[in-house]
Amino acid sequence: MDTGDKITFNTLAGERSGKADHMHQLFIEFGVNFASGVPCGVLRHIIKNFDDDATVLHVPANRESEAVGLAAGAYLGGKTSIVYMQNSGLFAASNDIASLLVPYGIPIFFVVSHRGCEGEDAIQHLTTGRATEALIQSFDLPFTVFEEQNLETLIGSMFEEMHKVTLPTFLLLKRGWHK
Amino acid sequence: MKRQEAIEVIMATINPQDAVVSTAGLISREIFENFDSERNIYVPGSMGLASSMGLGLAIACPSKRVVVVDGDASLLMNLGSIVTIGNKQPKNLLHIVVDNGAYGSCNEEKSMSDTAHLNILALGVGYQYVRIVSSQKDLRRAVIEFEQGPGFILAKIELGGRRDFCRPLELTTTKIRFMLFLKQSTKGN
Repeated sequence: MDTGDKITFNTLAGERSGKADHMHQLFIEFGVNFASGVPCGVLRHIIKNFDDDATVLHVPANRESEAVGLAAGAYLGGKTSIVYMQNSGLFAASNDIASLLVPYGIPIFFVVSHRGCEGEDAIQHLTTGRATEALIQSFDLPFTVFEEQNLETLIGSMFEEMHKVTLPTFLLLKRGWHK
Repeated sequence: MKRQEAIEVIMATINPQDAVVSTAGLISREIFENFDSERNIYVPGSMGLASSMGLGLAIACPSKRVVVVDGDASLLMNLGSIVTIGNKQPKNLLHIVVDNGAYGSCNEEKSMSDTAHLNILALGVGYQYVRIVSSQKDLRRAVIEFEQGPGFILAKIELGGRRDFCRPLELTTTKIRFMLFLKQSTKGN
């Protein structure tokens, strides 16, 4: 039913993150022009920046697997993609990463929120939280945990490595990373 | 209509400059063996993602027509994809579902396509052109009459058919020549 009310989604109530804005600027500098994914609260500033930037084709997905397929197609069409998701979704999409991106050699920059770390208050994240790094390692794919490194150096070296090996790479962000 | 007949009609009727994304299993293997070309990309694993890849490609290359050759069980495994396609409205995407009502590449275990009414779902989520066909003649006509997408053709086929196709293995080569094909055939657009 259309009530005539205007609903504004994802306003963040004006809250901004200097780190997320800086990261977005670096994404653009390194050629990102396509983004897909499934939301996580930890990634809200990143997603909002994709929404607000007309230079990025932002195609939200219903499931993480779909986002992997969308970004793979966009890569073949010449785009550089970010796929964002929670680590729970990384498990859901793990076969798509292993059976599509790896055999074809499709480089996609994954931004993954890492729930289930120390201090986690939601029990459903604990098992995947403990296994996240091990999952990526078991695929022999590169990943970096964000721990207050210099963003410019970090993002730059990750993109450089990704294009060199033409494989996916993963940036893991813990709760509170954006402060 | 047999799978072989449906694939023959599709590959012979689409434009030579169309990009083709085909789903995992026998559909990709049959296209690879009989219609291998630089315009094809085969989805090796990740069952269900052909339509998502086709959408990503169609959005990235709006001047290139993209034909997805999907299967019924494959689509059902990633059904949310048609919602995304309906939402994004790519005019250059034709999504063909070759429907044998089964996991044909496995042991022909039944899928749920007989109660899913995939053509009605496609219409409901916003595809602009929807056809259901069960003969080569109607399939050919449905492909020819497609003008503006997103388009959806549900091609009903019989179970069975050849199974001993070779597999596309040189995926890096397939990827590189496909990307080159896109670059060369979309020049100036």
